[in-house]
This record gives sequence, structure tokens and C-alpha cells, in this order.
Amino acid sequence: MVQILDVMEKALNGKPMSETDYQLKLFAPKCQEKVREYKIKYDPANPIPQDNGMADDLFQAGLELLLDVGAFCTSSGRVISYSESEVKEALKSAPSKLHFGEGRDRKHLVNRKVGDKTPPWCLLGAGGGPCSSDRSFLALVEGYAEIPETNAITTPAITRVGGMRVRPASPLEVLAAMRNAVLAREACNRVGRQGIPIMNSLATAESDIAFAAALHPRFGMRASDGYMICCMDPMKVDFARLNKVAVALSMGGHIGMCFGPLLGGYAGGPEGTAVSNVAHHMMGLLTYQSSWLLPFTIHLRYVASSPRDQLWVISSMGQAISRNTHLLSINLNYTTAGPCTPMCLYETSAAVTSAVTAGLSIESLGVATNKHEDRTTPVEPRISAEVGHAVAGMKLSDANELVKKLLGKYESKLNAPPLGKSLFECWDPDARKPTKEYQGIVKKYKREMASLGLELKPET
Amino acid sequence: MSQEKILKDLQGAILGYDSAAAVRAAKAAIAEKIDPLTAIEKGLVPSIESIGNKFEKMEIYLPELMLAADAMKSALGLLLPLIPKGSKGVKATVVIGTVQGDVHEIGKNIVSSMLMAGGFNVIDLGVDVKTITFVDEAKRTGAKVIGASALMSSTIGSQKDIVDYLESSKERRKYAVIIGGGPTTKEWAKEIGADGCGMNAVEAVKLAGKFAKGR
Repeated sequence: MVQILDVMEKALNGKPMSETDYQLKLFAPKCQEKVREYKIKYDPANPIPQDNGMADDLFQAGLELLLDVGAFCTSSGRVISYSESEVKEALKSAPSKLHFGEGRDRKHLVNRKVGDKTPPWCLLGAGGGPCSSDRSFLALVEGYAEIPETNAITTPAITRVGGMRVRPASPLEVLAAMRNAVLAREACNRVGRQGIPIMNSLATAESDIAFAAALHPRFGMRASDGYMICCMDPMKVDFARLNKVAVALSMGGHIGMCFGPLLGGYAGGPEGTAVSNVAHHMMGLLTYQSSWLLPFTIHLRYVASSPRDQLWVISSMGQAISRNTHLLSINLNYTTAGPCTPMCLYETSAAVTSAVTAGLSIESLGVATNKHEDRTTPVEPRISAEVGHAVAGMKLSDANELVKKLLGKYESKLNAPPLGKSLFECWDPDARKPTKEYQGIVKKYKREMASLGLELKPET
Repeated sequence: MSQEKILKDLQGAILGYDSAAAVRAAKAAIAEKIDPLTAIEKGLVPSIESIGNKFEKMEIYLPELMLAADAMKSALGLLLPLIPKGSKGVKATVVIGTVQGDVHEIGKNIVSSMLMAGGFNVIDLGVDVKTITFVDEAKRTGAKVIGASALMSSTIGSQKDIVDYLESSKERRKYAVIIGGGPTTKEWAKEIGADGCGMNAVEAVKLAGKFAKGR
């Protein structure tokens, strides 16, 4: 079994190469070679593919891509190569079930299959989106913790400490990461869900020093939380990220590698992006010592998960992984539109449907491309989770029809999506509810979804 | 070799993403005493513009864009030194990088390549670039525009540091500072006193064009 010291040995003794050569002369052409060899083909008419043979080919293409290109360590400037037996052993020994959380909120994250009736694991929240103040952070996380479907929380990221904008790897970032841990736990305590796990620990900690510092027991993070470490696209790692791996392992935490191959980036179009996503799953088990995975593939032009070709990538890579492995994979989605707009809800519905019916769980979500401070509310993740539960067990052919209808509602607006309203313009933290205007939008959205054939929980 | 053939070779090298061919064609242009500005404007620029348009439409993807930009850079490396400074037709120099503490490079690479496709002379400083390095390199190369990319909400503060540094050294008016990347917005650009925020690569190139001759 490849362990952290083996990764370091490979990172120090692998083939030397420049980062540019790795990306442009090794990874990119090999990825396209696999697409051609396995005849992987995107079909815009069917954003949810229903071809088991292609899903299995896609898996094989991803496996071979990893064997051909390995990972790249930017700190040592070397390729980290893996043998087929190492990859297969990692796939075999990866867990198919993990526990997160404590007490009443301790739940199992389980492997899902295509069309699985098991509800997806719902990792709900802001996906590390920026928030401006402790007040907005607490309002958001309290709201997320109160969603009945919430299995775990993905917090926003704190951008200021003491009125000062955070600077990377500075005391401000260290203090912000500590504050992230303390406030997230406090918000859950306030609404009586003390045991709920935080699974994007820690969104505010970009640097390894901030990550390690905030894991001091006094700040409340637990081994039963999830430790997310982000991979650099494509298939890259550095010593700072491996430092995070070593720290998370030392406290017995389960690592989830977050990876976001851009559609239109180094892997090329939808086909190559799907192959790259599959390869990243296996690379995460080895290089980042992950026991769960967090694909976060987004569209280069729209910075979202909801465009047609991006939905195809989510579904096809999900099917490839869930048909051929027992990995625990949670797809993070972004919308282009903001809160208090129907478009945002349709976009997340389409992305969640693509992921869940393909056998993935969900992390929802980054709203309005996750770019704007406080432009997210607890409503969008709640709706995402309700959709996730409602489509569990749906056939791929039905999911395809639903997604096509949803695309009809927003696809033409992706170039100029409405930004909607900010947190306190459409969410009342004292009432713990959206404003009347937003409630009306949600009710209308649910009526529309029912007319498309998907009954969601009635609004109270 | 005729001028027409050499210009075609320059075009073909860019469209074929071939740096070695671009260098060969540029050397041939110099050997045949073709005006370097003509070689650039009629040989390289139409092809790299076509590459930029194709990338915008997602007919080609990032590797092709970067390889074409690399070929362009290789040819420019030979041709630009032969053009007297200040000649008409030569676009401005842009210094670009990802800010201190941030190692994300895709967004910066896209903008860097698209700037090159837009005919700019691009000095790409890479990632995790110190504030002082942006300014020193702008001074050294005579750039009018500094492009600062940041992907993380915890790293965009370094964009403010560049503006603050220029303000305090009384050199603010000499350089336009354009910001971009995941969490950056026009509001943030205004708040820190930057000259603009490229919400995408196309907008970043337009902003660079706006400030090509200075603020």
C-alpha cells in the first residue's frame, strides 16, 4: 500500500520535468490519446449518457492515464509515478463506508451505484465561498445545520480578521482558520446539532501552516470531521499540500482530495475532462492518501457545473467511478445565477440530478460562481439536498429527460445570469427563513419541478 | 525564399502550435531582411488572433492556446529586438503573475496567452510572485500594465498590496493595475483602487488595450 513516505520517496526520486512540459507535453496529449483510443464521445443531445460500455471504457482510460502520467510534484519538479499494482491495491483497499460526526449526528457515508435508491450524502453549505463577517458566517452555518437532510457542513471562508483582509500564510490567515473552526462548531452548537461534522476543513486555510494551527484541540476540530485538501489541476501536488496530508493523517482524520479539472483546460473538451476526472479519483487515493473524493469539475467559460457539456462530464465520470469501484465520491456543484432567482435553483437541480443518478453523493454548493461575498443563503443547499433525495433511484433515461427540460429553463441565460440578492437581502437570520419574496420563488420553482415530473417536499 | 512563403510559414507555425517552426520562420525572415514589423503584423498576428478566437468559442482548449502562445513568444523573441523602441504597431508590454501566497496558475496562463494572442508583449512572472517583483519587472521592461491574478479569497489581499506599493512610492500613475481570478470582482477592484477587473480573459485583454499607452 502506498503511504505518505512512499509518496515522498517518489516525489524526490521521480523523473525530473518542468511543470509546463508535464502539463502540455505529457498530460494533455496523453489525455487526448486515451479519448481517441477508447472513442469516448460527448453527445449534446443526451447530457446524461446511458451507455454502460462507454462508462467502463472511460474508467479504463482514466486508469491508463494515471499509469502513463502519474502525478506531478511542483516542489521537487518530478513526476510521481505509480505501478498498475499500486493503483489496483489502492482501489481495493479504499473504504466503501466511512463514519463522520458524533453522537446523534454520526452518520455513514456509503458507496452508491448508478440509479441507487440510497439517498446521497448531503454535504451542504457554501463550498468555501467568501463571507464578509462573523455575523454572515454564523447565519449561514446555523442555517445549513438546520437543514434536515444535512449530513455534514461545508463552511464559507472567512476573508477578514479584525477588519483586516486576510493575507496568505500570515498570522491573519492562521487566525482566520482558527476562527473558521471555532465559529463553525459554535453555529452547530447554537442549533442543537453539536455532533454534525465539518467536511471542508478548513476552507479558510489555504496554507499548510494555517491548516495545522487550526487543528489544535482548543479550536474544536475533531477526527470525525472531514479534511479536504485541494489538488492543483492537472494531477499536481506540492510539499505544502503534502504537509496538510501528514498533519491530517496524524490526527486520524479522513482526507478528501478536492479536484477541479476545468472543462476547456488542460484536459481539453468534455471527453478529456471526464477522463481526467476519473484519473484524479485514483491519484487522490495515492498521492493525497484520500479515503473519500471530491470532484469539483467546472466549465472554463461559465465557472459553473450547470452547462450541458459539464453535466455530461459529471454524469459520465460518476458512472465510470460508481460502476467500476466502491469509492466514496461527492460532487461539488457551482451555479452561475445567484440567490433569490429561479435560475439558480434550476441550475443546481440539474447538476445534482446528474451526480446523484450517476452514483455520486453531493456537496452543494457554490452560488453565483462562488465569487461574491455573502451571495449565498441556506436555501440553495436545502433545495439541492431535496432534489438529491428525490432523484435517488431515478433511471438514467428519466434523469436525461429531466435534465434536458431543466436546461431549457436556463441554458440560454448562462452568458448573462442574474446575480440575485445577497444573504441578508433574502434571508432573515432571526426568523431562520428566507424572505417572503424568496419563499414565493421557491414555491413557484417547486410547482414547476412538479410539472416536470419531480415532486419535492412541500414548502412549510 | 519569398516574403510570401516566409509569412505563410510564420502563420503555419502558430496555427500548428510549433515553436521550432516559428523560430525557423523568424530566422528566415531576418535572413531575407523582411521588415520585422511586417513579419509580426502579417505573419504572426493574424494566426494568433485566429487562435484566440477559436479558444473563446471553445473550438480549441488551453493546451493549444498555450502552445500557440509559446510559438508566438519564440518568434517574437527574435523579431522584437530588431524593432526600434516606440515604433508604431508594437503593442504595449504587460507584466503578469499570480500574487504572493497563491500558486494557482491556470487563470493567469489563460490571460497571459490571450494577451499574447492580442499582440501584447507579455512578461509572465509565474506564481507566488512578491509584490515588489511585479513593480520591479514593470519598471525593468517598461510595461504600462501590471496584471495580478489570485484564485483564493485569502490571497486577493495581495492585489491591494501592489496598488498600495505603487501609491506609496508615488509611481501609481505610471502603471495600470488590472486584477482577475476566482474571487475578484469589479467592486473589489474599486475598493483597492485597481484600474479594472477582468471578469474573464477577453475582458482582461480589453482592459490591457485600454491602458496600453498608460493610465
